[in-house]
Amino acid sequence: MKSDGDTTVIRASNITKRFGKTTAVDGVSFEVRRGETYGLLGPNGAGKTTTMRMMSGLSPITSGKLTVAGIDVSSQPREVRNVLGVVTQQDGLDTDLTARDNLIAYGFIAGLSPAQARRRADAVLMFFNLTEKSRDEIDSLSGGMKRRLAIARSFMTEPQVVVLDEPTTGLDPQGRNRVWQELETMKEAGVTVFMSTHYMEEAAALCDRLAVMHHGKILDQGAPDELVARRAGPEVALVRVANGVRKDVVNWIENQGFNCRDAGPVITVTASNGQRPDLSGLQGVRISYRPSNLEDVFLSMTGVTLTDDE
Amino acid sequence: MMATTYPSARVFGVRVRSVTGMWFHHALVFKRTWLTAMTWYFIEPFVILVAIGVGVGTLVNDVEGVPYAQFVTPGVIVGSAMFHSIFECSWGSFFRMQKGVYETVLTAPVSVREIAMGDMSWAMTRGIITAICITAVAAALGWVNSFSGIGLLLAAAMVGVQFGAVGLIFAALAPNVHTLSLTFTVVATPLYFFSGAFFPISILPDWVEPIAWAAPLTPAVHLARGFITADLGLSHLFSALYIIGLTALLFPIAAILLRRRLVK
Repeated sequence: MKSDGDTTVIRASNITKRFGKTTAVDGVSFEVRRGETYGLLGPNGAGKTTTMRMMSGLSPITSGKLTVAGIDVSSQPREVRNVLGVVTQQDGLDTDLTARDNLIAYGFIAGLSPAQARRRADAVLMFFNLTEKSRDEIDSLSGGMKRRLAIARSFMTEPQVVVLDEPTTGLDPQGRNRVWQELETMKEAGVTVFMSTHYMEEAAALCDRLAVMHHGKILDQGAPDELVARRAGPEVALVRVANGVRKDVVNWIENQGFNCRDAGPVITVTASNGQRPDLSGLQGVRISYRPSNLEDVFLSMTGVTLTDDE
Repeated sequence: MMATTYPSARVFGVRVRSVTGMWFHHALVFKRTWLTAMTWYFIEPFVILVAIGVGVGTLVNDVEGVPYAQFVTPGVIVGSAMFHSIFECSWGSFFRMQKGVYETVLTAPVSVREIAMGDMSWAMTRGIITAICITAVAAALGWVNSFSGIGLLLAAAMVGVQFGAVGLIFAALAPNVHTLSLTFTVVATPLYFFSGAFFPISILPDWVEPIAWAAPLTPAVHLARGFITADLGLSHLFSALYIIGLTALLFPIAAILLRRRLVK
């Protein structure tokens, strides 16, 4: 089952998913190495969830080839799910069961014996610091705890790869921090994590490498720092301008070949050549600079931000 | 991490653990809720049985050669099994779908068909549980004996699977939770009262009779009554085959519709 001497665990080549006439994922290719945390970064509708659903067999692939631990997702969908632990966007917890029973029920259906499932549930609850919540009703848990419990459930079968679809979406800051801590712990334990997110802080903090996704395509992939250096340069410019001349200023910036996002109080300017944008020709505006981040990477490649609704 | 595999036996391509796993899930829920659930498993049919069997029974003479109480007992039992199984697989399954429980189950090596089978196996169990409760009461009242008791459980089990499939079809088609009330208003309640449970089908107008006989609960009532009166004939065998045939037809439809809803 293990591809010998090869460190690649997930291999996607040219995978495509169509729903009728819409193409949700459009010929995407990437490779995830054993033990790394790999992220898909993109706004809602970029095709992240569909990519994850294809991996766990919830969405059959239209074309292309996707393998996990050498197992082909299309031809052996069941076998793939033996090596995956999946956390979908909905936590998928049954509110009719306690926290611990949710894990036991899942473990049993995944193939553990009842005794194994109980033992494993206790171990996993301890690992994720949820032991004292064992007997709690699901409805009494906070959003962050539910998410951690769902992540704990994905560990019931000692998966080779954990697939996390937007692990912190909808959580408050404390909840998010706790989930990040758990993901960090998982990483230290050597688990391969394949995750999606539309929070650039999350992608920067957790991912060893990531792919920037937009409209079903991967625009670029690499380590976060590498992507920032390559796509957004060291710094971006923030331009404050009076409303009367705003349009002229935007036109001027765009004519210089820079990417420009005109929203809110400031105009954010990125250069696509990996340099700090040179706006010295601009008169009558206030310009400041800040270090670039993944949000700017996305902006420089798409002209929109991760949180823009389209 | 070590690669761990969890082999599981297959029967005709069906992973056994998927079905027993769903059943186990439901059993865990039942373990927590059985006390309140008993009001529905036991008290409601008990009230119906005694009110109609004893109450109405004093007003009417023997029907088809048996006291009225004995006449209604099989219908109340299989009718109750129907309500339980259709509820489990419509409301229950719909909520599991909405809460993402099925989606999570499907990330284990489980197929949609196996989820349907697991839910139907629990629907059958619910049918049997309620049948046991009511049969015990009817037996204490002297309305059934042990031979008919086993037959009644068998009929209830068959009804459980059959209406489990009906419930799943509704769950898979329902755009929202309100639509699910149709399972009771359009399906279960009319069937309960026009399946020969409370009066013989022969008293219906001639043109309605064949419809009543074809209705999906009628054969089960007929079969159960055959056990109670210890008068089993070829017609009861046909009834059993009719239930099995309907189930064999409904199950794949339920599985296909559910798959259409869950796997996109």
